Amino acid sequence: MIGIRNLIYCIHKNKANNFIRCITTASEEKIRQSELFGLEKKRQREAVGRIEKIEVQYEGVPENATLIMNKNLSTPYDCAKHINEMIMNRSVVALLNNDTVWHMHKPIPDSCKLELLHFKVAQPNMVNKAFWRTCSFLLGALASESFKDNVNVQLHSFPSPVIKSGSFVYDIQLSLDNWVPTVAELKVLSIEMVKFCQKHHKIECLDVSIDFAQEMFKYNPHKTKQIPDIAANNSDKVTLFKVGKHVDISKGPMISNTSQVGRFTLANVIKLDTDIPGDPIYRFQGVALPNSLILNHFAYGLLEERARKLNSARIPCKQGFSNEDHSFAAQIAV
Amino acid sequence: MNQADVSKLVSQLRIKVNPRLRKFRSPAGPEELNYPRADEARMYAERLISDAIRYGDCHKTTMEMADYWLVEKQLVHKLFKVLAPRYQNYTVSYTRMYKAPRPYPGNTNLKALLELRGNPYPALIPNTNNNRNLIHNVLLDEAKKEYRQQKYNEIAAQIDSSQTEAVSIKKDITEQSKECNT
Repeated sequence: MIGIRNLIYCIHKNKANNFIRCITTASEEKIRQSELFGLEKKRQREAVGRIEKIEVQYEGVPENATLIMNKNLSTPYDCAKHINEMIMNRSVVALLNNDTVWHMHKPIPDSCKLELLHFKVAQPNMVNKAFWRTCSFLLGALASESFKDNVNVQLHSFPSPVIKSGSFVYDIQLSLDNWVPTVAELKVLSIEMVKFCQKHHKIECLDVSIDFAQEMFKYNPHKTKQIPDIAANNSDKVTLFKVGKHVDISKGPMISNTSQVGRFTLANVIKLDTDIPGDPIYRFQGVALPNSLILNHFAYGLLEERARKLNSARIPCKQGFSNEDHSFAAQIAV
Repeated sequence: MNQADVSKLVSQLRIKVNPRLRKFRSPAGPEELNYPRADEARMYAERLISDAIRYGDCHKTTMEMADYWLVEKQLVHKLFKVLAPRYQNYTVSYTRMYKAPRPYPGNTNLKALLELRGNPYPALIPNTNNNRNLIHNVLLDEAKKEYRQQKYNEIAAQIDSSQTEAVSIKKDITEQSKECNT
């Protein structure tokens, strides 16, 4: 991704089409986090030890099948690979034993029934939520990589996904006073996100201990505070997700690949009124659609227009934070 | 089949009697055509239907064309009595063509399915557009709700303001009349 300030500057400077792309390398912190993630993933893989077999009963098109897979190694995505390329690409989340929504790249722990869900199933509520959550997560990735080095970006949290609110949200602390994004800035950021999604990044998932999570987010004061709470509600484990070089905490599940994101718009960035000390907190809001659902630009324009209004999700404050793992809505509905 | 085999009953006759029921090549489901054949048949079918709608069954040339193209003559009746009324207000094509899947390994020829729109048989492809739970439909429904709410509020505000105006005018009039009386 690029330094947005730089790019905007270039647009102003050159006026016309021939603006220079200013590519900044991902920060050292990003690289450290993604390397840590990779090492931990490798370690967990090697810790499995002796490989045991499990039976996965697949239900769905083109036909029901029983697959013999590896315990704690094979993922629903691996099962899909055995079935069909189309199934592999379109599956968003897996449904184990008709009740547990499972990330596509998370190893299966035991024999189970497997269904693969996509965006056009009859009851897509769970899929939609996973998509909306992923979009929030991607907003975090976008914000943390697009600003120049002199702007300090600290991700705070994102609330549980509510599709009816019309926009997904990420609350981020920026060392900018009263930043009101211009239309051009929002557009550039949206385009960067679409380009990022078109690189077909796999979204990886990992359960880690509290200590490891603390080590991972030791430079982020907000996340460091949130981690004990999150772990307490998740049997002392913290679930991390990684896309590209960006690592974040989320309850999950998320969609399996960024290629499944079609349209993506960063609709607005609004300064929030909170009591959190330090730099101001901004609410990044956006709207997106899956690749498989096609909508005309007029209808999508209405959605964009609506996403510009301030999302009514809980505003983070000193006492508690509105992370999805905590909120009431997250607990009653997956 | 419970029907008597006619050809066995009248085996003495030398005239060939065809079986009553026509055999379909694939009785299990819709039949796949080779793609070029389906593409070409589609054009003729569209032309025939559009002529039938345009000129009706009293037009000599149209009837001749129908007689020429439709090998099974009962379909001439179907063309004028069923299809022409069905499609007379259509603004889209009367037929729909799908590319059929090609199993691998297998025949690599491109296959196609041709169907008349609005037929009473089960749909070839499930229509998911009406599913209100799909994410874009959820978003659009909510946007619609919000827009309506906004409009209602505007109307309510207008009514309120007009009422207050009316009340204030009334007051003015009464005050004026009082002044006149005094």
